[in-house]
Amino acid sequence: MSRTPTLLILLAVVATAHAPVAAAEAPQADGSRDAAPRAVVPEKHRALFATHCLKCHNGEMQEGKFRVDDLPATIADLETAERWQKVLNALNSGEMPPPDEPQPPKEAKADLLDDLAGAMVAARKALGDRHGQITMRRLNRREYRGTLRELLGVEISVSELPADAGTGGFDTVGSNLFMSSDQFEQYLALGREALDEAFERQAAAAEERKLRYEAEETLVRIKKFYADNLDASERAERWIKAVEAAAARPENAAVVAEIRKTAKDEAIFRRSWTQIAGAPAPEEFGFQTGENNADKANRAANYAGSYNKPYHEYYLRQPSLETGAYLTIGVGNDLNSHLPLLVPFGWPVGDYIVRIRAAAAGNQVPRERRFLEFGIHPRHGQVLSTHEITASIDSPQTIEIPLTLTRKHGERDNRTLFVREKGTADHFTQTRAKFDQGKRQNGLGPELALWIDWIEIERLPTADKTLPPGLAAMGVTLAGSLDEKGPTPTAAELREAIERFAREAFRGAMPPASYVDKLLGLYDTRRRAGDKHAAALKQTLAVVLASPMFLYLAEPAADDGPRDLTPLELAVRLAYFLRGAPPDARLRELAERGELAKPAVLAAETERLLDDPRSVGFSRAFVYQWLQLDRLDFFEINRQMYPRFDDSTKLAARDEVYETFERLLRENGSLGDLLKADYVVVNGVLANYYGLEGVHGDAFRRVALPAGSPRGGLLGMAAVHVMGGNGEHTSPVERGAWVLRKLLNDPPPPAPANVPQIARLAGKLLTTRERLSAHQEEPQCASCHRKIDPIGFGLENFDAAGLWRTEDTYQLTDAAGRPDPKAKKTWKIEAASRFHNGPAFGDFFEMRELIAGRSDDFARGFSEACIEYALGRPCGFSDEPLVESMVGRARAKGLALREFVQALVASREFHTK
Amino acid sequence: MNQSNSRRRFLQSATALIALPAMESFGLRHAALAAAQAAPPKRALFLGFGWGVTEESWYPDISRTGADYELPAGLKPLARHKADFSVVQGLWNKYSNEGHWGSTMWLTGANRYAEPGQSFHNSVSVDQVAAAELGLKTRFASLQLNASESAGGSGHGPGLSLAWDVRGKPLGGQNNPLEAYHRLFSKDTTPIEQQKAMLAEKRSVLDTVLDNARTLRRGLGKNDAAKLDEYFEGIRDIETRLGKDEQWLGVPQPKTALKEPKPGQTGYEEIQLMYDLIVAAIRTDSTRVLTYRQPVSTLLTSLDIKVHPHDMSHYHTVRGEKLDASQRRDEAQSELLAGLIDRLKAAKEADGTSLLDHTALVFGSNIRTGHSLDNCPTIIAGRAAGFKLGQNLAVSKGTPLCNLWLGMLHGLGVNAERHGDSTQPLTQVFA
Repeated sequence: MSRTPTLLILLAVVATAHAPVAAAEAPQADGSRDAAPRAVVPEKHRALFATHCLKCHNGEMQEGKFRVDDLPATIADLETAERWQKVLNALNSGEMPPPDEPQPPKEAKADLLDDLAGAMVAARKALGDRHGQITMRRLNRREYRGTLRELLGVEISVSELPADAGTGGFDTVGSNLFMSSDQFEQYLALGREALDEAFERQAAAAEERKLRYEAEETLVRIKKFYADNLDASERAERWIKAVEAAAARPENAAVVAEIRKTAKDEAIFRRSWTQIAGAPAPEEFGFQTGENNADKANRAANYAGSYNKPYHEYYLRQPSLETGAYLTIGVGNDLNSHLPLLVPFGWPVGDYIVRIRAAAAGNQVPRERRFLEFGIHPRHGQVLSTHEITASIDSPQTIEIPLTLTRKHGERDNRTLFVREKGTADHFTQTRAKFDQGKRQNGLGPELALWIDWIEIERLPTADKTLPPGLAAMGVTLAGSLDEKGPTPTAAELREAIERFAREAFRGAMPPASYVDKLLGLYDTRRRAGDKHAAALKQTLAVVLASPMFLYLAEPAADDGPRDLTPLELAVRLAYFLRGAPPDARLRELAERGELAKPAVLAAETERLLDDPRSVGFSRAFVYQWLQLDRLDFFEINRQMYPRFDDSTKLAARDEVYETFERLLRENGSLGDLLKADYVVVNGVLANYYGLEGVHGDAFRRVALPAGSPRGGLLGMAAVHVMGGNGEHTSPVERGAWVLRKLLNDPPPPAPANVPQIARLAGKLLTTRERLSAHQEEPQCASCHRKIDPIGFGLENFDAAGLWRTEDTYQLTDAAGRPDPKAKKTWKIEAASRFHNGPAFGDFFEMRELIAGRSDDFARGFSEACIEYALGRPCGFSDEPLVESMVGRARAKGLALREFVQALVASREFHTK
Repeated sequence: MNQSNSRRRFLQSATALIALPAMESFGLRHAALAAAQAAPPKRALFLGFGWGVTEESWYPDISRTGADYELPAGLKPLARHKADFSVVQGLWNKYSNEGHWGSTMWLTGANRYAEPGQSFHNSVSVDQVAAAELGLKTRFASLQLNASESAGGSGHGPGLSLAWDVRGKPLGGQNNPLEAYHRLFSKDTTPIEQQKAMLAEKRSVLDTVLDNARTLRRGLGKNDAAKLDEYFEGIRDIETRLGKDEQWLGVPQPKTALKEPKPGQTGYEEIQLMYDLIVAAIRTDSTRVLTYRQPVSTLLTSLDIKVHPHDMSHYHTVRGEKLDASQRRDEAQSELLAGLIDRLKAAKEADGTSLLDHTALVFGSNIRTGHSLDNCPTIIAGRAAGFKLGQNLAVSKGTPLCNLWLGMLHGLGVNAERHGDSTQPLTQVFA
């Protein structure tokens, strides 16, 4: 064990490498149990070493205390691996061979670097193979949330817990999930919060509330705002005239001349009114603020000539102001840049439904402007959902949005719901640009596109619903725990309630008596300190939710080799795999009856879990990590360059990835559809973005594509292309590497450190391909980039916001960082290229065809990811047979998605600790 | 996997990556005594002021970097200390986007939108990262001092002080000199018995979960047991902390020559008093990490300036009295800072060196001027972290402010791997 730390550090570097590598040998011939292929530096490179290295690094010279003459070609132990790593580093950095010595031919050096890097990846993977060992783990952040949801029926924000995925790999891998004192205290606090929430919900279960806000109520405010502005500007004019009159008096001529020397305009001039005898104070004209009132008056005077006034008047001329309100685009004009609805403070936590009755303001409103954004917290609020508006004002449509109100929604801001037009409030520069664009067109401002009749919120009573298991466990003590007026339980009732709650929290495992005794002791301490029953009980139960039997998914096993899971352990593993939550009553019952492990029962239960809407607990968490969707949030899209890719579109683009996968999972479709398909799964927002006609509404659905469409499959998705860029420009390198990693299961080795940067192209006007061609000059770069870059070139027809393009532009910036209009180059995109040591392609479509032809590689990568996610451990060489069986079984059914899951669930590995 | 390694790997999951020091044995009762004999400890002090500065008269000429530079008007009052501080130009928090938030992300460098779907997120502030190590042996791990006025008037933005805990939640502190004085030097009035009962209850919570942990541990293999050990270690850490509370229970507060401040002093005098208390807190080794979120609004009032502070920060177009107010504010702040440095120099350690020699001081804001958030005004002083002093230092535009924080942590002996959006320690400003 003493070497483990070093090994772990080495392994951390290659956490994303899944694939076997070319340089890895076939299984050992001596029939040893270890099936892991060894990593070998191919024989063909020996000549290069002999010519360029051995002269100095031999047994006698040992220049730099390093010799390569005795380096074994097979990397079978850590020491050899570390020595080869040194060789790799020295070659990559250009340190060796020394500059004044003869250099190896570029091609040969690139091949060596390629093979050596591959051998290192293989070596680390082989040396780090844990042979199926699964480390016990705690619940990760989302499982913790899912568990509280199942146990208590509450939604808890877990953002205060540390993120789990920081160390690479999936968030289920136990060896990466840690625990600290700080976290323990957080679990205590969050547990208490969840219990408060659950008890509060239950206490209010029967409550019904309903409120409707008629949008025309805003008209009073807008009319008053307009009148106030007119009034202020009129008062300001009078003040200005009075100051000017005083300034015109002959006795003031000298002082006026003095002020004018420094005042660059009239407004600045009037700021010095105190020096002008007879000039009245702005306060006398009603300007009474804490700041400089001359400035306020100067500004008020501007209203008459501002862009605001005609826009306000335009609004007030609209035809349907008496029955509803129009949404405007806000740049401080105080109209309806959003419509807010405050959920009254007295209303209890629970499930609500929000209804919005809305219409398009006229038939001529373009499709791009027929989307409504809904959210909470108008000032900072991000969009939560987007809704397409197709109705007209004479017959509006009603949108329904479910909403869970929690104790977190305690302040005015986060109790305030809002609706606004799509993409009008992502960023103030964008709001300004949209306003100015409208103003350029009609001299007033943006035409009004959306009209709201009313917004309504209604609380849905839950009294007749089944109690969540954590509350049901309270039994007869529940009523008294919700309400101080109820009966205080007897000692026996209390003990039973706490014991049953703990068992429910521990997923069926019995809490030991000594533990329950101690919990009862805590309860007594709280009561003695003055707590009422309910408070003391919640504090006690919170300790259960911070106890290890709740927090850890334990499968106790001695060190002497694998054992079969108990039926209950199998139920837990299955539920956390396919739901991210504890097993439900049915699963536990099947386990307790000893039936769950029967293949037919297990297969049927797997189908049931996949059919359940809660399987999003699997699909979203898995897809997010597998395809590394976190990259979607790495960069802000440059909204000047890509005004259409607003927050709503980003939301829809992200959901397209999930929804497509979930549809395949639901219908047991082919994994191959992710490589290429003649359909997309989109909603109205995305259909509009992609330019697909006739697809309206908020639900994602399958839409057949016209022939020749570049959409369909992951490579047609906006989200994938946005991830392969920096928000402004595409990154063929990022995209190529992603395709190699995720689609072709041939991940490039981790980017080596200290490779000399190519700086000589900086500030030159080149096409992307010309720029990247520099990668081919240095063997250190070429060894990887000859595989990566061509794929990226094939995707160049997608811009950084995922739309199809045929041209690209590069513009230099001047010394001040501004785009230089004279230094701009535009070119037609050439997507034709060739896979390294593989076939050529003429355009994106041909490349997509070639990639789709490698669905077996894709299926292997997918299987390895599933194994790691489901079992909570890295997928090693020793898992080859499992990967083979999963791919094999799925291949027989046309790569049907559920076959992978079923094969994994049925495997020995899934049943073994 | 051995324990210290698993701890270290755990810590990599936290926001600030901290390589753990060797576990120290805890001789708390003797700590004060030992401190007097050993080399003086290192301290960190952060002074933040909201609303920014007057850019044309506060920043030294960027073309004259190095030691041979001229102090602009806004920094003139610091002339007598010119060799003992440096101005750093070019730092910023790239994620900051609120023109009225001078302090919220100043010490954290967080991205407020880092949590998908949430409109506000913050992360641990650099003082708290330092306090996790420097605070082990003192009565208070850290002190957070604040102004008596609302934070909005002073352009600080959300928060209860400059400090944010490891979960990115705001930490409160003392809001005026009187509160700070009592916190430092008055006897805790909670009856000892009640304090003991609270500690005992916390201990029985730990005892309960440990019982559960021991049940779970039965039957675990070596590997899983090592995993569960993290839980045991976490509980042990809390016990250690409770132990510290217990150790200080009933230990008399240190004596100070300072008189109890009169209530209600605001602005210039309030800052001066807080600075006195800061020196006293360091001197008595009550804490080694301090932040002070200074008032701006009441400072203007105490200087007899009538301009509204927000209005002042937008002096750029109309200039006039707003510019004048802004410049007078700069001078007053520099005067006050010069006074603090005087006192830190005058106070001596047992070995004859000064408190300033063992303190790392940063004075600044997340706002440059107006709503501009780049080139955050930054003054560094003190010798504890190895700052390069007496210089006008220009770093390349867009350098993360967190690189300074990271370098400072290293200088203080706190071995963090990164902080906020840091890319590397800012070696340029360290000697």
